[in-house]
Amino acid sequence: MLTVKSGRFIQNNVVIMEDIECGFKSGEFWGIIGQNGIGKSTLLDALSGLSNQYQGSICIDQTPVHTLDPVTRARKISYLLQEQEPSLAFKVSEAVAMGRFPWLTSKTEDKQITEDILSLCRINHLKDRNILQLSGGERRKVEIATCLAQQADYLLLDEPLNHLDLVYKNHIMQVFKQYSQEHAVVMVCHDIEVVKNYCSHVLMVLGKDCYIAGTSATILTKQNLQRLFNDSSQLN
Amino acid sequence: MVGSVSAPVSSLWRPESEFYPVIWQLRWPRIVNAMLVGACLSLAGLLIQNLVKNPLADPYLLGVSGGAAVVQLLVITAGIGVSQLTLFGFGFMGSLLATLLLLKLSYYGQLRPNKITLNGVVLAFGFAAFISFILATASGQQVKSMMFWLMGDLSFSQPNLLMPVLMFIALMLLMTQARALDLLARGDLFARKSGVDTKRVNLQVFVTAALLTSLAVAQAGTIGFVGLIIPHLVRLMVGYKHKKLIPMCVIVGASFLLMADTLARTVMSPIQLPVGIFTAMIGVPVFLWLNRRM
Repeated sequence: MLTVKSGRFIQNNVVIMEDIECGFKSGEFWGIIGQNGIGKSTLLDALSGLSNQYQGSICIDQTPVHTLDPVTRARKISYLLQEQEPSLAFKVSEAVAMGRFPWLTSKTEDKQITEDILSLCRINHLKDRNILQLSGGERRKVEIATCLAQQADYLLLDEPLNHLDLVYKNHIMQVFKQYSQEHAVVMVCHDIEVVKNYCSHVLMVLGKDCYIAGTSATILTKQNLQRLFNDSSQLN
Repeated sequence: MVGSVSAPVSSLWRPESEFYPVIWQLRWPRIVNAMLVGACLSLAGLLIQNLVKNPLADPYLLGVSGGAAVVQLLVITAGIGVSQLTLFGFGFMGSLLATLLLLKLSYYGQLRPNKITLNGVVLAFGFAAFISFILATASGQQVKSMMFWLMGDLSFSQPNLLMPVLMFIALMLLMTQARALDLLARGDLFARKSGVDTKRVNLQVFVTAALLTSLAVAQAGTIGFVGLIIPHLVRLMVGYKHKKLIPMCVIVGASFLLMADTLARTVMSPIQLPVGIFTAMIGVPVFLWLNRRM
């Protein structure tokens, strides 16, 4: 279980969120919603163990995440970043296979897993293409596939649906939902409809020290959504 | 045989021949050193380009060449026993000092690649000014030997065991890190989130590249273009996986510098030109052509 206790998140020396207490466990699919700049990505950064810009404790089964050694951490946590850094021109299959880095599995097994992920993400036809020549959406698919290939216990997704078309959005949300059966998935998303349809739990961030968390049904009420957006246009 | 004078092939194994000592004491070490220096520089270039994520980076970005040159020119000026070995020793020391300075400036709990680029470029300007100062105040005879050194020259290089041994150790170390280097080529953050200990690997890469460059510079002065172009050429040949890039850089770098050096000592024979002229003469058009294709 990935737990946050009295979490206080800081970005550029400004406190973004305070007094956060929550826990994410296997079998749960969490959606994190809130306005732009409220600190959702900062929260994911801290959860991923890559940032130490927080106070309080973020632990996986009692071990603070930022103290895990890189390989162990990568076996536990896979993190889809909102924006990808510039890269050299690897082939799609090579890029996805990089998700296997933390595992000491055999070459044939890695290859098999990579193949499976490529077809699961429906990018088999792209596998010999150079990642720099792909469209924005295709590149997003490759990034998602790389994160899935990591087979981590906790999958953190920062706006995974950016650049994706409608049909693929639904497909990949099914894949994430399937993944959440045996792992924990935590997703930052701005599409309330998607969160409503696929997430089992929701963390709604309303302000610096104001948030509500619980099952989707209890959180995504008309009243709460009105508080989130200060108007009811998102609802029907 | 290719060279300023023609020697029969049989003189290779006939000690009584007048060419025997020339071949085994001058030519052979020079060939070996050209290959080693070429391999060191291209490998260092590959590492630096990956470290600072900049295709224009070359091994001399580390301030190594400037540091070595300043110390070596000072030694030449002072005239304290200008043997090849003392110059090698002082050059190696100078380059390590310069690298340490850059490391100190670019280290904030961990290595900051973007800081390396800026600090490296600025330090290089500083060293260049110092070199100009030394050249301006040196006597005519000294200036000629200094210029030869600055342009990169293999003609006096002596065989030395340190270079192949360190080169071999560096190669072994790098091959174990080949996968981590692949991930680093997709960005430091990507590598870190995928399980690479970026802090450790980046430091290893920096130190290895600095050592390789220091060896090359101490041995042969500042030979340009090898470290810049060979990695790009090799990437076009074998793709982006370091498992192939590392050994190929060694092979292609070694062959390239041997070729350039062979030209340097034969084109205007019996006058021997600095090899740096030829690496640039081949390197500039090749790089421009590559850049149009990329």
